Amino acid sequence: MKEIKIVAKDLSIYYGEKVAINNMSIDIPGYKVTALIGPSGCGKSTFLRTINRMNDLIPSFRHMGEVTVDGLNIYDKDIDVVNLRKKIGMVFQRSNPFAKSIFENVAYGPRINGLKAKGQLEEIVENSLKKAAIWDEVKDRLHDSALGLSGGQQQRLCIARTLAVNPEIILMDEPASALDPISTSKIEELIHQLKESYTIVIVTHNMQQAARVSDYTAFFYLGELIEMDKTKDIFTKPAKKQTEDYITGRFG
Amino acid sequence: MERHFEIELKKLESRILEMGNLVQQQMQQTMLAFINSDVELANQVIENDNQVDILDVKIDKLCQRVFALQQPVASDLRFIMSALKINNDLERMGDLAVYVAKRVDSFSGYEEVLIDLHIDEVANMSVMLVKEVNSLLSSKQIVLVRDILDASQALKTKVKGISSKIVEELMHKSHDVIVVATTLILILNQVERICALSNNIAESVYFIIEGKIVKHSRDFLEDQS
Repeated sequence: MKEIKIVAKDLSIYYGEKVAINNMSIDIPGYKVTALIGPSGCGKSTFLRTINRMNDLIPSFRHMGEVTVDGLNIYDKDIDVVNLRKKIGMVFQRSNPFAKSIFENVAYGPRINGLKAKGQLEEIVENSLKKAAIWDEVKDRLHDSALGLSGGQQQRLCIARTLAVNPEIILMDEPASALDPISTSKIEELIHQLKESYTIVIVTHNMQQAARVSDYTAFFYLGELIEMDKTKDIFTKPAKKQTEDYITGRFG
Repeated sequence: MERHFEIELKKLESRILEMGNLVQQQMQQTMLAFINSDVELANQVIENDNQVDILDVKIDKLCQRVFALQQPVASDLRFIMSALKINNDLERMGDLAVYVAKRVDSFSGYEEVLIDLHIDEVANMSVMLVKEVNSLLSSKQIVLVRDILDASQALKTKVKGISSKIVEELMHKSHDVIVVATTLILILNQVERICALSNNIAESVYFIIEGKIVKHSRDFLEDQS
């Protein structure tokens, strides 16, 4: 029996008058990779950003329904959003390292959480860089600027930065779409390794990537969840015709 | 505008049908040659096998190209996976037609043995079975899957009956008759292979339509009803 980590129930999201997500319910399993796919504007990124309340930053945003993580309603007024985002890390399409050293990028999160001990910080930085499969490439230049790294390395550094605060969930918004095939495959390999310890939700426009990295795939269309199933079933025998048309490129 | 991918898929579909028709023609002619001891027609079958082989390679290459360049998924993936197998099964059927054709001259002078054993019925049933396989390939109607399994079972039963009769009635006769009877048994074994290959193709088409792998399971059609 799979453990459900994130649940959305009757969720609707509006940006002003525009409906971005329309009365959607979904269960996202823990310690698995769930890929969200669908055409632009289908609501997949909106849903991803709802999970760590990134949408709060958009003034016209409002929602109805419920989103729970480990059974706790994340839109409850008692929820500490900073703590929530510590538990739920996020990696974006464009790698966005700070204009600081490699070390400081990874140490940044633990530091603002109050960790000062140098030894502990060093340990966290090393472990996080190792988990993000970039340690060997940067261990001799930890104090060089992060901006000197390649695009693929910067993205793995950002993943290390996310891991440094010990999250439970990692949200990825097209994490490899700006990367070359070798960097992309490193990120995909990393995703495979990370799912042992984290729940991962990834938005991707690359269908083959969804097929390669995820355990479950959810197909969104016009703000609705059309179908969610094991990835192997979605890509061999989807239940809904809309899903079939989308993944085979016959859409519209 | 039709996408390049769809044009490739249609080409594959029509090549498979072409292969099916070619093999059906080979089977019809070889069976006709067999029951009439028509060596000339049998030689034509042997000669035409070349066309089956050429088409076999063309289909393999087309499947390889679509896999490599289009990364098919869902129904497209099932179709191309199955096209490879169906192509292989059809090509094997073509080889069986040649196997029979090569032995047609063994029966010159022994036509009455074929008549007594009602070999014409086996020949007709084999041709009908291959025709049904072709209908399934072009229509992809799941109801025909059952017809094929039934027809192939009936043919197998028929073949077994005749084979036993050969052993009982002919194997103690003259040396020449025993040689003919042995060749006949070998041919009947190949007819049984036609049944197995037809079943394979029926299962492949079932997989295309339903997305379920049903080979080695006898009762998959019962789940349907």
